[in-house]
Amino acid sequence: MKKKKMKFDSGQLPKYLIYAFFVWFILSCLVIPNINTIFTVFFENGEFTLEPLQKLLSSEKAMKSLRNSCILAPALSVTVGFVGISLVLITEYFDIRGARMLRIGYMTTLIYGGIILVSGYKFIYGNNGFLTNIFAKVIPNFPTDWFQGFWAVLFVMTFACTSNHMIFLRNAMRAVDFQTVEAAQNMGASQIRILLRVVLPVLTPSLLAVTILTFITGLSATSAPLLIGGNDFQTITPMILTFSKTVNSRPLAALLALFLGIATILLLTVMMKIEKRGHYMSISKVKTTIRKQKIRNPIINVLVHIYAYILFLIYVLPVVLIVLFSFTDAKTIATRKLSLSAFTLDNYKTILTEASAYRPFIVSVIYSLLSAVAVAILVLMACRIIQKNKNKASAALEYGLLIPWLLPTTLIAIGLITTYNTPRFWMFNKILTGTSVIMFIGYVIIKIPFTLRMTKAAFFSLDDSLEDAARSLGAKGFYTFRRVILPIVLPTVLAIFALNFNGLLGDYDMSVFMYHPLNQPLGVYIKSLTDAQTNADNSALSFVYAVLMMIISGTVVYFVYGRGDKTKVKK
Amino acid sequence: MIKLENIDVCFGDFKALKNINIHVKEGEFFTFLGPSGCGKTTTLRTITGFINPVNGTVSVRGKDITNTPVEKRNIGMVFQSYALFPTMTVYENIAFGLKVQKMSKEDIRQKVYSMAEKVDLSEEQLQKKVSELSGGQQQRVAIARALVTSPEIICLDEPLSNLDAKLRVQLRNELKDLQRRFGITSVYVTHDQEEALTLSDKIAVFNEGVIEQIGTPDEIYNHSATEFVCNFIGDINRLEKEFLIASGLDASNKSIVDVDKKCYIRLERIHVNDVLDGDTLKIGAEVESAEFYGLYIKYILKAGNESLKVIEKNSGRPLYKKGEKVTLSFNPKDIMQY
Repeated sequence: MKKKKMKFDSGQLPKYLIYAFFVWFILSCLVIPNINTIFTVFFENGEFTLEPLQKLLSSEKAMKSLRNSCILAPALSVTVGFVGISLVLITEYFDIRGARMLRIGYMTTLIYGGIILVSGYKFIYGNNGFLTNIFAKVIPNFPTDWFQGFWAVLFVMTFACTSNHMIFLRNAMRAVDFQTVEAAQNMGASQIRILLRVVLPVLTPSLLAVTILTFITGLSATSAPLLIGGNDFQTITPMILTFSKTVNSRPLAALLALFLGIATILLLTVMMKIEKRGHYMSISKVKTTIRKQKIRNPIINVLVHIYAYILFLIYVLPVVLIVLFSFTDAKTIATRKLSLSAFTLDNYKTILTEASAYRPFIVSVIYSLLSAVAVAILVLMACRIIQKNKNKASAALEYGLLIPWLLPTTLIAIGLITTYNTPRFWMFNKILTGTSVIMFIGYVIIKIPFTLRMTKAAFFSLDDSLEDAARSLGAKGFYTFRRVILPIVLPTVLAIFALNFNGLLGDYDMSVFMYHPLNQPLGVYIKSLTDAQTNADNSALSFVYAVLMMIISGTVVYFVYGRGDKTKVKK
Repeated sequence: MIKLENIDVCFGDFKALKNINIHVKEGEFFTFLGPSGCGKTTTLRTITGFINPVNGTVSVRGKDITNTPVEKRNIGMVFQSYALFPTMTVYENIAFGLKVQKMSKEDIRQKVYSMAEKVDLSEEQLQKKVSELSGGQQQRVAIARALVTSPEIICLDEPLSNLDAKLRVQLRNELKDLQRRFGITSVYVTHDQEEALTLSDKIAVFNEGVIEQIGTPDEIYNHSATEFVCNFIGDINRLEKEFLIASGLDASNKSIVDVDKKCYIRLERIHVNDVLDGDTLKIGAEVESAEFYGLYIKYILKAGNESLKVIEKNSGRPLYKKGEKVTLSFNPKDIMQY
């Protein structure tokens, strides 16, 4: 469509202000800090230097963390892939008794993750842990410190990182055209053959995508190595965290973060290539949804059932125990011995009445709420611009806003704190590091790419003629947006808002770099509670937090995913 | 009433419309007909204002509206997808344009209800979500929404193409009926020739961004102005020179039929074993196959080297069999040549 020549009139002023805002935002929040990171690494007092690189290469600890990350990422891709596929097959493909219950169990990772999940596992399997104690009683000389190092990290992360499989791979499985399965059966193919040759190939593109996401998660693992890696198994991100604490070693932290950034960019490029090749579209017009397959071999059937329920226990046990122990007193938590008399509501009372206890919660809620609202508004404006103008500027806007997607949280955080620790012109000469604003900015930045991708999808699935219709009925641009477009995309926007809020509430990776000492957010606070030295009273608190967050997240997940397709736009 | 004069529209380097001139009269049902990508929808969108022409003017009742924005043109539009707002009820959809005009609530209510009555939407249906209505009801909502603001003109962009065959015919009649009742000037876009022929007062046939012919349905069908039009509308037989001479045509008298031009004849204008008045040309032929449609029979016949399709009304007499020898006759006046 031909565009009318742009004429400057005062009605356009808000538009130009918005454009100016985006230019400033992308430059000062997304581009400059990251370029500055490169700069701090390779330039000292204005001169090019390779000193940080040499220092890094000679630091045994740093090199070990690099090596560890490079072992963890591929190992995790394999184990998560195996478990993830199992989960999808158990819940969606095979006819397994109690599949509905199993599915709920497998989906618990959607309602708790990161630091809370790891601390839950540590409580069960760790030194003096619930299960460890049981093992120690049954097996003499059982090493009670068994749950530490590479295998422990791999174990926890294997079960923590299947959320993507439960969302994306499961959707792909449900989209499989069942008539292809019936056709294969009709031609006499065995069950295993159908699974391997007909069903799994359709899932391959989704599987590759989630595997790459897992790989990146493995590379930038934070909570698990931090809490259960022990001295021997520390990975890149915890190392960055250590280095960034002193000014002298900050270039080292930045360099490691750069390494993560480059690796992530490379992997995501591969992923986009795969995505471009496209998904296998079903060519059939009359799709039949999958009917669950009964495993015909009785022995295999029993084994698969046993496997499914063991997985279920692994997923559910931490959740159940966290909930149970959140109602017990400090002594019970310290000894891990449950008795009826130990149950109490005191922990919940403490959280509700003591300022020091509820403050982190309030801090996180406020930060998450503000950031999620800001992201939603920011992205809505951006999407409207991208949708209305198909030119180079709008493409630049889109790619600019997607920058954080390519970079690990740690790198973004390092960039922000090292750039804005001195007055900079493009931040109005304000110092941000150490203030309470910077975490808000950080939260907003990390949530932009996901929000943009989802919101844009909602915008582009809109029928263009809706807008034409509104205009031909006399409505102007903003009125059309407010009355016609916004109500249609609102369910999607709200769902993303909820997910963002959810994700930020327990955030640790970004918060730990930029929280204000007086305003400790939940993730950081829980981590400090989980550290071995703290007393049992505190771990009681961390359980209560975990439960509260599970309730909040569970509610959000239920409204976003659980109610089926209600959030989708009806045509 | 609507005048398009020397309209050119470009999309980048592509010239979508070349020198379009159309005059739609008051109360007329005017159809743009053509294959996909011919420029018919582009022309419609130029009238509604979604597209600005590079050259030329659009005027309504003598007033130049070429640069008037869409929302100020007061031209109603019904979209191919209906473009009903999914978050609003039927009532809210119809009331949308009136609300934009900041009409009072009571006036809106009255107008919506009286419009709903005219298009046979019940009070109960007005409170429903648009997704709960059937295809035909949705179409009526789309029409009601376009008409309720009393536009001077209504534009319809393939409003029947989303429906199944039976409903399409039924709604076609309803549409025509509504247009007659409202007496509103209508511009209709379709690629379906049957729709165009049955609905329209006038048809403009488009091809590759130009208008091939403007005329009444009867003119377009019986006196196609160009070879494209005669091939696009209905089915047709191409007649070779040798065939025409063999059927008794005087090739030297070019005032009746010029055999050096391309000659065409419609299927139903050739008669099998039945010489009508004026059928001065006759030729023997052999039946190759017959397709029985109930209402009519379609024969494929061979006359010399020429293969011909002929439609015969089913009059109840036995069908000609494969291999049967027959005589074909036709009137030279029915031959169209280019």
